[in-house]
Amino acid sequence: MSRDDPRGLGRGPLTRRLPVLLHTPAEPGRIRPFAAGAGTTPGRFLLRVIFSRKRVTVPAMLFATVWQVGEAAVPVVMGLAIDRALATGDTGQLALWLGVLVAVYVALTSAAKLALRLTAYAVQLLQHRLRGTLSAGVLHPVDGTGRTPDGGVVSLMTSDVARLANGVILVIMPVARIVAVGFIAASLLAMDRLLGLVVLIGAPVAVWSMGVLSERFSRDTREYQGLLASTVGRATDLVAGYRVVKGIGVEAEAEVTGRYRRASRETLAGAVRNAGFLGRFLAGSGAVTGVFVATVMGLAGWSAVAGRLSVGELIAAVGLTQALLPQIESIANMSIPNLAGARASAARLLDAVPAPPGLQETSRFEVAALPVLEMSVAGLRTPVRVGPGEFVGVHTDDRTAARLAAALLDPWAGDDPQVRLDGLPARELAPAAYRSRVTVAPHRVTLFSGTIGDNLSGDPAAFRAAACDDFATDPDAPVGEGGNRLSGGQRQRVALARALASDAPVLVLHDPTTAVDSVTEHVITGRLNDIRRGRSTLLLATAPGLLGACDRVVELLPETTP
Amino acid sequence: MSGLPVAGGRETAREMWRLSGGHRLRLVATGVLGMVSTGVDLIPPLAIGYLVDRVRTGTAGAGTVLTVTAVMALATVLGATGTAVTVVLATRIYHTILATLREQLVGRAMTLPQHVVEQAGTGDLISRTSDDVTAVADAAPAVIPALTVTTFTIVVSVGGLAALEPPYAAAFAVVLPVYALAMRWYLRAGPAVYRAERTAMSARTQQILESQRGHATVLGFGLAEQRHRAVLAASWAVAVQSLRARIVQSMLSARLNLGECLSLAGVLVVGFVLVDHGMSTVGGATTAMLLVLRLLGPVNALLYVIDDLQSALASLSRMIGVVTIPEVPDGGEPATAGVLLRGIVFRYGDGPPALDDVTVTIAPGEHVAVVGVSGAGKSTLAAVVAGIHRPEAGTVTRPGRTAVITQEVHVFAGTLRDNLTLAAPSATDRDIHTAFEATGTTGLLDLLPDGLDTVVGAGGHPLTDAQAQQVALARLLLASPDLAVLDEATAEAGSTQAGPLDHAAAAALAGRTGLVIAHRLSQAAACDRIVVMDRGRIVETGTHHELVDAGGTYAELWEAWRG
Repeated sequence: MSRDDPRGLGRGPLTRRLPVLLHTPAEPGRIRPFAAGAGTTPGRFLLRVIFSRKRVTVPAMLFATVWQVGEAAVPVVMGLAIDRALATGDTGQLALWLGVLVAVYVALTSAAKLALRLTAYAVQLLQHRLRGTLSAGVLHPVDGTGRTPDGGVVSLMTSDVARLANGVILVIMPVARIVAVGFIAASLLAMDRLLGLVVLIGAPVAVWSMGVLSERFSRDTREYQGLLASTVGRATDLVAGYRVVKGIGVEAEAEVTGRYRRASRETLAGAVRNAGFLGRFLAGSGAVTGVFVATVMGLAGWSAVAGRLSVGELIAAVGLTQALLPQIESIANMSIPNLAGARASAARLLDAVPAPPGLQETSRFEVAALPVLEMSVAGLRTPVRVGPGEFVGVHTDDRTAARLAAALLDPWAGDDPQVRLDGLPARELAPAAYRSRVTVAPHRVTLFSGTIGDNLSGDPAAFRAAACDDFATDPDAPVGEGGNRLSGGQRQRVALARALASDAPVLVLHDPTTAVDSVTEHVITGRLNDIRRGRSTLLLATAPGLLGACDRVVELLPETTP
Repeated sequence: MSGLPVAGGRETAREMWRLSGGHRLRLVATGVLGMVSTGVDLIPPLAIGYLVDRVRTGTAGAGTVLTVTAVMALATVLGATGTAVTVVLATRIYHTILATLREQLVGRAMTLPQHVVEQAGTGDLISRTSDDVTAVADAAPAVIPALTVTTFTIVVSVGGLAALEPPYAAAFAVVLPVYALAMRWYLRAGPAVYRAERTAMSARTQQILESQRGHATVLGFGLAEQRHRAVLAASWAVAVQSLRARIVQSMLSARLNLGECLSLAGVLVVGFVLVDHGMSTVGGATTAMLLVLRLLGPVNALLYVIDDLQSALASLSRMIGVVTIPEVPDGGEPATAGVLLRGIVFRYGDGPPALDDVTVTIAPGEHVAVVGVSGAGKSTLAAVVAGIHRPEAGTVTRPGRTAVITQEVHVFAGTLRDNLTLAAPSATDRDIHTAFEATGTTGLLDLLPDGLDTVVGAGGHPLTDAQAQQVALARLLLASPDLAVLDEATAEAGSTQAGPLDHAAAAALAGRTGLVIAHRLSQAAACDRIVVMDRGRIVETGTHHELVDAGGTYAELWEAWRG
């Protein structure tokens, strides 16, 4: 942002110093998650969400009403001006009506500005709160239970949250538009009772029939968007495997292109079909509004011929009817799909948000600060035992190692293998109590984007023990998306340093050095035992490399498991 | 890191013209239909003006009213149908061209020389085949009506106004600078604000995605609270940027309202003077007012979509930038059965040479292993042999049919069979079973619920890294190349898997020339010859026994590995 334009909104020298409403909104403090207990229906959840910010939405609705009634008044003012000034040639009247026109525009423009900003603010506040609800309930469950969210959580936390939050516009714009339609009907009613009645009855019928027409189109649009998303997903999958394709050779290039082409043609067929539905909707809704407006105009003309309307009133009626159109179209084309979309997203959100926690909030048992960790595996007589301060290795095959690691990560998922702390089954402990004792470093390394320093807690001893000192000289160096600026071996070493820096009473490492070369692995082996001195460590290993660091090694190879 | 090229304006236009070949007649027909339909839409305002004048002069009867009503209803129905057909035709042409373009994009992406893509990063390619394709497709509902019906309505309405009531058109023209200024302002202020909003959105998606992918890490390390805060910080950053974008939008609509107000005031003033001098009627002024009111909506709509149009064009030129990368003929190297590298120098960016004057020959059918510590240049050598990197000095000769397997495993979404027939589209299930038998990994099929029909990859049955490498080795056998390069292809295997995977790798190499970057030195020991690298140079070469006896670098590594 330059000094000439401090807010970066492209404002000229005259206006750039003026205050801007809601330019830097204050962040809402602690986020209260939306309650979604059993028995909440999507409709009720939607209502709860859109009525939760009345302090913003009620003023927004009032300003929007001024704005929409102002829009409806413009053609009326024009009609009256033509009748009073143009037809009479009275200059005073011309000045008066020009003044009225300008006043109406000033009012409706200011009201629109405020209504738009308050609406946007309400939408963003709700999005943020809904995202917070999902973040705490699904993505990072604070109660620590291990149901892994699938990839769908991303679209849930972006598209669905946005759609549901947009539902709040339903208590702002349609309300204002209905008031505007009421204003138009009342004005017509004052001139001619029949005209007013026709509008009062006809407008809802027009909205309803356009809604019916749009329903089929919207349904097909969602289907088409699904097709497009799957084609794009396929392209992403194929391009992500680019190196593998190149590795196989020219035949694979042609084959991949052919497979993508087939998916792309399916999507094209969907797009073509969807365009057909769009055409039917456009033609149908155009016919509905056209016939409705023509009928109202014809009635007004008939009333004028019969002498019940003056010419001035006829022109005003023309203007009012003209103003009716955008209101009907907006309610039918925007509010009805908005309601449908918000409801569908509310249902998806309800499915994902877990019932409010009530179980295992507080632990019934006390566990020592440095407990004894035991694991029993079905078919194995003696359990694996890690005493306080011990460094124990388990040498096993990759599938057993994966099972053991999964059980340690989430002891509540099943009862084989069973994990015990100080003799108590871990599944009877509160998740928070378990996790404060046991830290599990999974085999599949995830670095979060940020710097090397962000991913480590900056413990130089851990850094050195994981042999990161040769490449990670600058803690402010970014690691890239998912750590892609580092090589596989470097990623593993940073992840190992992170595990060692966590200072956990009991640390579980699962094959932490498979991508590290044997010389470096040897270096790490020599430093590992030292840094974990005084605390317990369990190393699950399928390769012998690191096992040299252990006090003792339990062999759990398939030959030894009965 | 330099990105892939982006097409300039002229190149984009030229490519679009080429892509539209075969659709041009339909495009012209669509344009004519759109013009005629919006022309029909002019009838209702004229009919109303006529009715007003007849009522004023007292010459209107029931017949006039009925005729006017019928003409209006008929005209709107015809006009709506015509514009609907216009939009449908235009939408279909748009999507057909887009489909052709995205297929050419993926096709070209796959045939690009790998060193070009490695330099730009595959992320760039992914974002062009996903984000840009989606952006252009999603722009359709906003952009197509704007380019057809909206533009035609403006042209026809201004034309109609000029033909029927020329002085009113002059009044409207006076207001045009207001719109021009509003547009100029919006094009200057808008893009930066929207870009900031989109950047914040992709940062937010990235945070959510990382928490989801790293869920095990989040749980295992008790990072829930920290990650929750990171996601919410990214969420609020989007809220701030979105509000800024909405503020710019509301500033635009205020400017458009100014234009509207001036246009309507102009109609009143001009109408006042004209009616006063008997040059127009009250009905004519009503028609002009209705025509101007009809213009305002489309003018506003057009200005609002300019931004969509701009970002769709930006995505389009990014897609076309890849499609139009010229194909470079492959130098026409003589295809040999062996490998000959002479005086190879290679460096990453401006760094020190990763390969420094390396000369290696691999005889046809010979298996050579490369060993050395991390950073010695082993993988770089493999990449140069495979053609992934292009050396800055020296020559490379290799067989035409070369296959590479690296540690990077990617399981394509689809059935296991789809993953295997990638290499040989005509391979039968029998061929596949033979390949699994040869590599000794038929056990994999028994572990999968539906055998070859098991859906694997993203969203399917998860394969362990070792299983994915078994698939890759079987695939290599199906592809049957002359030269196989294995870059630590079996490193992920634990000790229990190492034996079978090493056996599979040996089976995959049998009968062809092989280059093996070995993680476990037992693999190196099994090769015909071993090349030892250190800091980008070859320091030793010989058989396993020769090198162990020589007591050099290899002998040291061998000692460390044996523990």
